[in-house]
Amino acid sequence: MSQAFPAWLEHFQDRFGRMLRTPLERANGSLRVADETYDETLTQLALASERLGSNARLALYNRQYWFRLFTLFQGAFPLTTRLLSHFTFNGYVSGFLTARPPRHWDSEAMLVGFDEFLQQALPAGTTPIEGQRASVDTLAVLEAARIDSAFHRVFRAPELDPFQPSREHAAHLLTSRLIASPASAVLEEHWPLCELRPQIVLEGGEAARALPPRLQAARHWLLLRPENRLALFPLEPREARLLRLLSDLSLQCALAQLEQECPAEERAGLPEATQRWLARSVALGIWVGLEPR
Amino acid sequence: MARIRPQLERDALGLGLRVPHYGSLLEHWPEVGYFEIISENFLGDAAPPRRHLDLLRERYPIVLHGVGLNLLGHEPLSSAYLDRLCRLAEYVDAPFVSDHLCWTGAQGLSHHDLLPVPYVDDLIGVAAERAAFVQRQLGRPFGLENLSTYVEFETSTMPEWQFYSAVVEQAGCWFMLDVNNIYVSSQNHGFSAHSYLDAIDFSRVLQMHIAGHSRETDGTIIDTHDRAVADDVWRLYAEVWQKRGPFPTLLEWDERIPPLPEVLAELQKAVQVRA
Repeated sequence: MSQAFPAWLEHFQDRFGRMLRTPLERANGSLRVADETYDETLTQLALASERLGSNARLALYNRQYWFRLFTLFQGAFPLTTRLLSHFTFNGYVSGFLTARPPRHWDSEAMLVGFDEFLQQALPAGTTPIEGQRASVDTLAVLEAARIDSAFHRVFRAPELDPFQPSREHAAHLLTSRLIASPASAVLEEHWPLCELRPQIVLEGGEAARALPPRLQAARHWLLLRPENRLALFPLEPREARLLRLLSDLSLQCALAQLEQECPAEERAGLPEATQRWLARSVALGIWVGLEPR
Repeated sequence: MARIRPQLERDALGLGLRVPHYGSLLEHWPEVGYFEIISENFLGDAAPPRRHLDLLRERYPIVLHGVGLNLLGHEPLSSAYLDRLCRLAEYVDAPFVSDHLCWTGAQGLSHHDLLPVPYVDDLIGVAAERAAFVQRQLGRPFGLENLSTYVEFETSTMPEWQFYSAVVEQAGCWFMLDVNNIYVSSQNHGFSAHSYLDAIDFSRVLQMHIAGHSRETDGTIIDTHDRAVADDVWRLYAEVWQKRGPFPTLLEWDERIPPLPEVLAELQKAVQVRA
């Protein structure tokens, strides 16, 4: 294309973009636009109407920008949202997007890294719920964010054919690493959050929801996407450990590591259990290929 | 045996495809003239949207409606985006593709909103050149939709409809006219919706959008797509249909989405108001 837009457009869009991204002020459980901070050149360019001043007209875009993005994050992180309350959650989203404003036309891209951001942003111990004189165990919120992130990622993963081991693979199977399907995830939980998530999606509400009691022992799940739905399969702890090792190491290294970690009294039954877990993982279609080492 | 998909008729009534309706659609296969998909929801690698699209494209004409082209962004158009868009249009054999006469990002950022510009002469040529380029790349009609806007700029030298018509005419592309947006902007800025519609060359209208809006306490109208079409908008639609129809008509409902039968009933009101 031969023509370019005039230079003023870039300055205009820069100013308008900064106005859009102006964080909403948080006070007394509500959000308000800080329209007194908008760029003066922009506010002079905008015309007032009979009903609204120029700042108030621009503020409609500012508010719309944030609420659109809050809604998107709430949809992708429903557990995290409800443990924190919408208002508290939106505060963390605001912090995340102020530091990392969206850059891609695909709105999914802006969600990446939010669970890691929460690890840095949430206080140690407990996280206060704004406006509710309550707090929630920070470790539970981080676990919820990891689970939400996995559910969202698995559901939106591309379709890949499952790996079917054949005679051709036998020669280098042990020295290769199995590649896990992006439509799968191994989850560990210390609160019953995986089962709570679908309930929360259906029940609605914006206030913080009480965290269920901590489990006596950690539970492990395999999250898969058969067809267009998500399904959870319970895993034994050592089976979950095997699946994680297989994703990181060659088959022989993963098996050796699992054996080394296994208490002596359980080792006798390990080969049979390992065979069973491996067969199940292939049957469930967790693997999509082999990466030679 | 391959199913023969019906053609998109000039007086067709269509519906914006939304996730909450997938189950009902795939169970009942209702009589709908065509579906419009939000392009960006199908440009990625996610499998579930494509699986649904595979089923629907066999039975209904599918048109594409984008929100991320960024036609009026000062940065060059994204060739990666356009490449994916072309492949999607080919995949569903879209009778046409549309996006908005607006900008959606700048300085390497994407704002995920449809944003206005001052209406001035020195944007028309580049906007038209870009729209013509997109249409050539797509190899099929490309329509530009008018925005709902909440602000005007003192540097504008012409009304929106003059800017819009000039871009479409110079580009040789099409109008994707949203009558609800015309109504919303006319109320927010105090111009005549009839003047706007009178200025449009209806021989170049690909499609008309209808949707619901909400009114703030201060009187501002917001294009929310969260309710039935307002009576005033139906009246405007009826007038323009009588004078300038036929054109394909599509209902958008994006928030607080009711069950499919309710949305289809709203769409059928178009038949009544045309009479």
